[in-house]
Amino acid sequence: MFEGLSLDQAPPISVVLRFFLSVPVFGIFLSVLMMLYPTQILTVNHPLSLAAIHLLFLGVITMSMIGALFQMQSVLGGRPIPAPLGNAFLIHILFSVGIFTLAGAFITQIAPLFVLAATLLGSGIVYTVFLIIPLLFKSSLHDTLRGMRLALISLFITALLGIVMADAYAEGNFSTFHEAIRATHYSFALIGWIGALIIAVAFQVVEMFYVATPYSDWCKHNVFRIIPAALILKTLWLFLALPYVWVFDLLLAALLMGFFTTTVRRLRERKRRVSDVSIWFWSIGMGLLFVSLIAYGGYLWNMEEVILQIAVIAYALFALSIILGMMGKIVPFLVWFHLSSAGYMDAPIMSHVIPLKRSQSLFGLFVLVCGTAVMSVLYPPLFILTGVFSFALFALLGYNLIQALKLYRYTLTHGTRFTLE
Amino acid sequence: MILLDTRELDHPIPLEMAVDAFKTLKSNEVIHMIHRREPIPLFEIITKNGGRYLSYQDTDQLWHIYITRDGDLEALRV
Repeated sequence: MFEGLSLDQAPPISVVLRFFLSVPVFGIFLSVLMMLYPTQILTVNHPLSLAAIHLLFLGVITMSMIGALFQMQSVLGGRPIPAPLGNAFLIHILFSVGIFTLAGAFITQIAPLFVLAATLLGSGIVYTVFLIIPLLFKSSLHDTLRGMRLALISLFITALLGIVMADAYAEGNFSTFHEAIRATHYSFALIGWIGALIIAVAFQVVEMFYVATPYSDWCKHNVFRIIPAALILKTLWLFLALPYVWVFDLLLAALLMGFFTTTVRRLRERKRRVSDVSIWFWSIGMGLLFVSLIAYGGYLWNMEEVILQIAVIAYALFALSIILGMMGKIVPFLVWFHLSSAGYMDAPIMSHVIPLKRSQSLFGLFVLVCGTAVMSVLYPPLFILTGVFSFALFALLGYNLIQALKLYRYTLTHGTRFTLE
Repeated sequence: MILLDTRELDHPIPLEMAVDAFKTLKSNEVIHMIHRREPIPLFEIITKNGGRYLSYQDTDQLWHIYITRDGDLEALRV
């Protein structure tokens, strides 16, 4: 059978890098907050803690994931996002200004800033979802695409609930449903958006990048049914104030534990055991997911807030770990791919775009961030050190990305094109 | 025919090998790449640089990809 694929689908390199380059900016801003206000950030529901959480989950994690979606949709979905330059520009502006405004709103508690942040971020998310979702529905039913669909719908729900809460913060008037809204908001964000997208990506890349055994068909088919079912039921239970809501958390935790087990097995049994920094990030990411799930189980058992903090921090670092590992693969690929497509003979090989030493240093800094972040829950002043390592991590990430972009631009102007004679 | 069996190689080595071979490909030569997936980004590089390709799925994890500049790919159709 011969495939008749329509080619020329990849978006321009600037579309993806625009989002990726913003990640270190938000990361550095977050790190400065961590250095200045360690205790406040580790205090649950403190305004500075909420500012830091949104800088991390929106500025670092969501910004990376939206950039990756622009690339993944064209490659996996077979239907590229239309007008990628203009749409990426618009979405990026709405997100960037919206995230800074939201962080500013939490820090300063100026009411109109909450409204402005909700408007900007809400518009950005709704626009993104309505731009990409129709393309996913028209594509063939691929497991990864179903995961992307679930992730985007979850992001949409997260945003809607976020707008409702921003309005409550602006007016200083919290409804009786505030706790239910808040729990639904973070459940859809952490599991429906971040968790589902990472699982969907894992289904593709663990097998493709590392020559590992494919995930089982049962797992691929059912995981994106179980997650929304559990989230919807949890939401109903929360709003109706029914007992045993933790059952749905336990179901989701069991599912993520299954994902952890099968992924670790695939990484351990891969056919070519070549050492690669992205494998290190996947491995430590899986370790962090395990810590998070065990800690969350402990929290459900004894309701100790310290254990919940460990669970949330480990989960965020799990997501960041996968993102850093994937960025280290995607950015060199994009530089090589776009130069090769343009016919440059001397397009750098991918392993030269971000040198191994710098990738290893990034990983070393990430390990330091993880170690100090988890321990700082028990000894909050240590969080200053987490901020220092995090600052260095994001500064190095920014340097790596800028150097990759400079290499791309240098080859564009000085490189020689190969000619077929 | 230049044979590239990349089934056991980690991404992105198969793509780099195929593009390197394509850069020095003579007019009527054909690259026969055997891979475990269909390398869609490779096709964009090939077609944008004056080449042609045919891809054929043998089994679930086995793809045959033929790349040429001016060679006869029709003869390779199954």
